[in-house]
Amino acid sequence: MSPPDRAPPVAAQPAMAPPVTPYIGRWRRLTGHWMPAALIVLVLLGVWEGYVRLWAVPKWLLPAPSVIAMTLVVSWELLLDHTLVTLVEVVIGFGLSLLCGVLLACGIAASRTLERALYPFVIASQMVPIIVVAPLLLIWVGYGLTPKIIVVALTAFFPIVVNMVDGLQSVDPDAVNLLRTMGANHWQIFIKVQVPTSLPFLFSGLRVAMAVSVIGAVIGEWVGSSQGLGYLMIRSKPQFLTERVFAAIVILSVMGIALFVLVGVIEKLAIPWWHNEQRQRSLR
Amino acid sequence: MKQVASDAPAEVGGVAKVRVEGVSKYMLQHGQSFAVLQEVNLYANAGEFVSLIGPSGCGKSTLLNIIAGLDQPSSGTLYLNGCRAEQRLGTVGYMQQKDLLLPWRNVLDNVILGLELRGMSRRVARARALALMEEFGLKGFETAYPYTLSGGMRQRAAFLRTILPEQEVFLLDEPFGALDALNRAQIHAWLLGLWESLHKTIVLVTHDVDEAIFLSDRMYVMTARPGRVQRVQVIDLPRPRHLEMITSAHFVALKAQLLAALRREPAAEPQDRPP
Repeated sequence: MSPPDRAPPVAAQPAMAPPVTPYIGRWRRLTGHWMPAALIVLVLLGVWEGYVRLWAVPKWLLPAPSVIAMTLVVSWELLLDHTLVTLVEVVIGFGLSLLCGVLLACGIAASRTLERALYPFVIASQMVPIIVVAPLLLIWVGYGLTPKIIVVALTAFFPIVVNMVDGLQSVDPDAVNLLRTMGANHWQIFIKVQVPTSLPFLFSGLRVAMAVSVIGAVIGEWVGSSQGLGYLMIRSKPQFLTERVFAAIVILSVMGIALFVLVGVIEKLAIPWWHNEQRQRSLR
Repeated sequence: MKQVASDAPAEVGGVAKVRVEGVSKYMLQHGQSFAVLQEVNLYANAGEFVSLIGPSGCGKSTLLNIIAGLDQPSSGTLYLNGCRAEQRLGTVGYMQQKDLLLPWRNVLDNVILGLELRGMSRRVARARALALMEEFGLKGFETAYPYTLSGGMRQRAAFLRTILPEQEVFLLDEPFGALDALNRAQIHAWLLGLWESLHKTIVLVTHDVDEAIFLSDRMYVMTARPGRVQRVQVIDLPRPRHLEMITSAHFVALKAQLLAALRREPAAEPQDRPP
C-alpha cells in the first residue's frame, strides 16, 4: 500500500528547514528594525542638549543629557546598589504574582462557583489605588523588602489572572470532545488542551505584568524605604540633585525594557509553535 | 428493490459490533423542541464498512456523536458488541470533520494522543506510531507542526491518531470533505487497502454518493430533518475494489437508484412530539 497524495515538496519546505538568514542580512534587518526609534531618541537628545546649553538652563531645573550620562558614569556604584534592590523587588514580586495569578486563574476557570466568588475580588483589588494600600502595608508588614514585593505582586497579578482565565476558557470545544471520545478525564483535558491553549494568553499577560511591576516597585519605595531607585529619587530631589533623579529614571526604563524583552524571549522559547503559526498566517 | 427502514434480519455472524435501536433525538431551539433523529435503526457487523448518507442537516453527525458517547439519545438504545452501552466514551474511535490536530504538538505527538490518554508511555507510543508513519505518508514529517502540513496530510495524521488506539469500531465523519477530487480518489483506494488489512468496523458519514458506493458494504440513506433511515442499500460490488469500478455499469446503476432515492425523499414535516 502506498500512501496517496504526498504533499508537493514546495509546500513541505517550511516544515523541514527555515531558511537560514545570512549574517549580513540579519544585521541589516536588526538595524532596520531599531533604526527609526534610535533616530528619534538621538534627535530628541540633541534638541534637549542644545536647548539646555543655549539657554543656560540650571542643572537643578533640567540637566542636559550629557550631565545625566556623566552622573551614570561617576556614581555608578551608588546607582548599582539601589538598582539591585529594586530589581530584586521586581523579580520576587513578579514571581509571586505569577504563581498566585496562575493558581487563581486555574481555580476560576475550573469552577463556576469559584469564578463567582473570586472574580469580583480580583477586579476590586485593582479599583483600590495602590498608592493608598502601600502605606498601610508599611504599617502591617514593616519597613523591609516585604511591603515592596507585595505592592509589585498586587499590581502585576491582575493582567496575569485576567489573561490566563481568558486563555483557559477559549479552549476549542471540538478539541475537548475529541479527547473525551478518547476516554480522557477532566484532568487530562485540562493538562493536554486547556493549559497549552492558555499559554499565549498567559504570556501576553506576563508582558503587561512585567511592565507594571517596575512601576509597582517604585511606588512601594516612595511610600517608605531606605534603599532602591525609588528611594534614591525621593532623596535626591530635595537636594536638587536633579541629574541623579534622571539617572534613576534612565536605569528604570532600561530595566523595564530589558525585563519586557526577556519575557518575550522566554515566550518564544516556551511556545515556538505559536510564533511560527502567527508568522505563517501573516505571510498568507 | 424496495427496502425500507428496518433491516434487522440482515444481521449476520452473531452479534453486531454497533447496533442503534429506535434512537430518537430531540433538541431545543428558541424554546421549541424539534426532532433531529427519529426512530433510527442501524447496525454494523464486525469488519463491515457501513456508510450513512443524506442531505446536510439530517442528523448524521448527531448520530455519530451519540454512537461515540458525546451525546445521549432522547429515546432508544445503543448496543456495542451486543451489550447496552451507556458509558461509551473511549470505546470507539471517532474522527470528526475537522482534523483537530493540536497546534502545540508535532505530528508524532499528535498521533499518539489516544495512546497517551490510555496511559501508555510516550516512548512506547512514539515507537508504535513511527512504524506506521510511512504507510500514512507522514514519513519525514514526524517533527513538523500541523500548520506546515497540506490538507491531505493533516487528514491522514488525524486518521492515524484515530486508529492507533486499536478500537474495533471507527466512526468517520466526512473525513475527506476538505480534499479535492483527485486526492479523494487516491485516499479512498488507500483507505480500502488499510481497512482490509485491519479487519475493523467502519461507519462513515458522507454526502458524496460515489464515495459511499465505492467504499461500503452497506449504505443507509437518510431523510432530511428529522433524520430517519429511508433506505438500506447493500453494495454488492466485488472486493477488493478498484478505481475503475466507478465507471462500471453496476456502479452507475446503483448510483442512479440512490440518487433517485435521495431526490424523491419527502420534505421534512414539522414535529409536534414533546421530548
